[in-house]
Amino acid sequence: MDLTPNDIQRQTLDAVDRILQRNGDTAHNKKLVDQTQYDEALHAELAGAGFFDLALTEGAGPLDAALVVERIAESAAVLATAATALVFPMVTGETAPGPVALANGQGTPFRLGQFARTVLILDGDAAKRLDVQPGDVEAVNNDRTGWPLARLTAAALQRAPALGPGKGDELRNWWRTGLALEAAGAMKGALKTTVGYVKDRVQFGRPIGSFQAIQHRLAQLTVNAEAAYWLGLEAAYKGAPAQAAAAAATYVTANAPLLLRETQQMHGAIGFTREYPLHLWTMRLPALQRELGGLSGHARDLARSLGEGVDDRAATVASQL
Amino acid sequence: MDFDWTEDDVAYRNDLKTFLKERLPEGWNGYDKANLPKYKSDSIAFSKAMAERGWLTQNWPLEYGGQEASPWRAAILSEELWPIGEPRGPQYMNVNWIGPAIMAAGSEEQKLYHLRRISAGDVCWCQGFSEPDAGSDLPAMRTKAVRDGDDYVVTGSKIWTSHVGTADFCFLLVKTDLNAPKRAGISILLTPMDTPGIEVRHIDGFVGEQAFHQLVFDEVRVPVAYRLGEENRGWDIVRRALSFERVGAAHYETGQRILRATIAEAKRNGAFDDPEVQTRIGEVFAALEAARLLTYKVVDLRAHGSPPTADSNLSRVAQTTALRLAGELAHLVHGEEGLTAGSGGDIRRVLSFGVAAGTTEMQLDQIASNFLALPTKV
Repeated sequence: MDLTPNDIQRQTLDAVDRILQRNGDTAHNKKLVDQTQYDEALHAELAGAGFFDLALTEGAGPLDAALVVERIAESAAVLATAATALVFPMVTGETAPGPVALANGQGTPFRLGQFARTVLILDGDAAKRLDVQPGDVEAVNNDRTGWPLARLTAAALQRAPALGPGKGDELRNWWRTGLALEAAGAMKGALKTTVGYVKDRVQFGRPIGSFQAIQHRLAQLTVNAEAAYWLGLEAAYKGAPAQAAAAAATYVTANAPLLLRETQQMHGAIGFTREYPLHLWTMRLPALQRELGGLSGHARDLARSLGEGVDDRAATVASQL
Repeated sequence: MDFDWTEDDVAYRNDLKTFLKERLPEGWNGYDKANLPKYKSDSIAFSKAMAERGWLTQNWPLEYGGQEASPWRAAILSEELWPIGEPRGPQYMNVNWIGPAIMAAGSEEQKLYHLRRISAGDVCWCQGFSEPDAGSDLPAMRTKAVRDGDDYVVTGSKIWTSHVGTADFCFLLVKTDLNAPKRAGISILLTPMDTPGIEVRHIDGFVGEQAFHQLVFDEVRVPVAYRLGEENRGWDIVRRALSFERVGAAHYETGQRILRATIAEAKRNGAFDDPEVQTRIGEVFAALEAARLLTYKVVDLRAHGSPPTADSNLSRVAQTTALRLAGELAHLVHGEEGLTAGSGGDIRRVLSFGVAAGTTEMQLDQIASNFLALPTKV
C-alpha cells in the first residue's frame, strides 16, 4: 500500500499540467463551451504524446490513466478523457483512434457524442461499438452549459455490433470508474474556485471565507471531493471490479449534488454568469450524475452485490455501545 | 502508488486472525463493561498475550522495545480489533499515543518506568482532558497546578473522562500559568490514579456502561517529577497526540460490520426488496469505503515520515459521517424492533462519534484553517 505517486507518475502529471497550461486557461475553455466546440488541438497533443495510451502501456496502467483523467477533469478542458484514455482501452484492449463517447441503448442524450470517432454503447447487458458515420449522431441543445450533448439515431444504434460476452459488465464497471474520476475532478475544480472566491470576496468588512457558516460547509465538501478522488483511483488500480466501481460511482452521485448547490450558493449571483468560470465544473456534474441510472442505479447494483455475500451469520454485531 | 497489501501484511493479518480465534471465545462481541474488574483483568490478559508476540508495541522504535513496524501494521491491527469490540480495552490509547507522547517528551526515568509497563501490556490509562467549561475549547481549561516545593498542588475538575474505571494512571492536562495566553500555560502530569485526593464520580449516561465520569481534584499533590515535558509547553504534545488518536481506530470496519448485519436483517425481514433501502445500503458502503481510503491517506503520510496534517481531520469527519449513516440505516431496517435494548438497530450506538476525540465542528475548523487556509476572523 502506497498512496504517494511514484516519480514516473509525478512526472506524467507535471507534463500533463504543462500541456494544459500551454493550451489555455479557463477563458479558453469557456470559449469552447460557449461555442459548443471540442478541444481538438489539445486532444491531438495529449494523444500524440502518449497520454491516452497509458492504460495499455507497459510500466504504466489504468491507475496512471486514472490520474491523468482526474487531472484533466480538474482543469475543465473540453475533452472526452475518461472514455478515450481509460474506458475504451480497458474494454477493447486497443488504443482509441480518436475521441470516444459513452452512450446507453435508449437513445438518451450523452456527453460529447457529436465529436466522437467511436461510441461505446451499453445496451442492456451488451456492450456495442459504433464507429461513427455522418448522420449517426445529432447534437442536443443544452443551452451551452456543461458538457456538449448529443443523441444517437435509432439506425446507428441498430447498426452497432456487439463486442462479445462479458463486455457489457466490463463497460459498465469502467464507465462507472471513469465517471467517478471525472466527477472527482469537477468537484475539486469547483471547490478550488470557490475557496479562492471566498478568500477574496469581502462582505460585512471581512472575507466571507472567514465566516464559520462558510468554512464548515467548505470543509465538508473537501472531505467529499478528496474521498471521491481516492475511490476513483482505487477502483481503476484494481481493474474496476464491480463493487469498487459501483462504490466510486455511488459516492460521487450521492455527494455531487451538495457540492453543486453549495459552490453555486457561496458565489451568489456572479456564479450564474457565463463570464465567471464556476459553471465549467459545476454544470458538468448533472450529466455525470445521470449516467447509468444515476445514484439508484449504482447504489442498488452495489447493494444487490453486497447482499449476495451476506448470510445470517452476519446478523449479530457488537451490542456494546 | 499502489493499493495492494504486501505479502508480509497479508501474512500478518492472517496470523492475527488465527490468534484472535484462539484467544477469544467464538462469537465474542466485546467486553461487559459493567463488570469492571473482569473487564480490566481480561483486557490486560489479552494485551499481555499480544505483548508476548511482540504485537502490542510493534510500531514503537527499537530502542523502546518495538519493531519499528510500518504504520500499515497498526492499521491492520485496528481493522481486525476495533470492529469486534477492541479486546485490548483501553490499552489501544497507551500504544497509539500515550506511549509515543512519553517517548517524545518524557524524562529518562519516565520512559523507563512507563514505557516498559505499557509495552508489557499490564497498565491502563485514562485521559484527563475535557472540563465542565472546556470541551471543544480545550485550552480554556481551568484545573490548576500550583508549584509547592517538589510537588504541584492540583485543584479542579475533569469531565467525560473515558476509561476511568480501569485506569492506573491519568494523562492529566493542567494549567500551570493561568495568566499566560490560553495555549501557553498548559502542562501534562502523568498522575497515578491512587493519588490521595482524586475523587471519581460516575455520571449516568445512555450510550454505554461506565461511559462517563467526572474527576475532582481537591488540592491533590502530584510530584513535579511526574510532569511530562517542559512546564507550560504541554499543548504541543497534546496536539500531536490527538492527531494520532483520531485515526487510531478503524471505525469504518465497525461500520462495515453494522452494514453486513443490517443487510442480513433486511433480507430476513423483507426490507431488502425496498429500492430505497437498497440505495441507502449502497450509499453507506460507499461512505465507509471513502472513510477507509481517507484514513489510509493518513497512514500513508505517516509511513512516509510526514508530520501530522489536517488529513487526519478529513479522515475523522468521513468516519463519523459513514458510521452515522450505517447506524441510521440499521435503525431504519430494524423497524420498531430497533427500539429494544441490545437490538442491532439501536441508534444510540452511533450518536456519540461526532463528539468523541474532538467534535465534528472542531474537525471542520481544522480543515478550514489547515487544509483550505481560509482566513480567520479579523
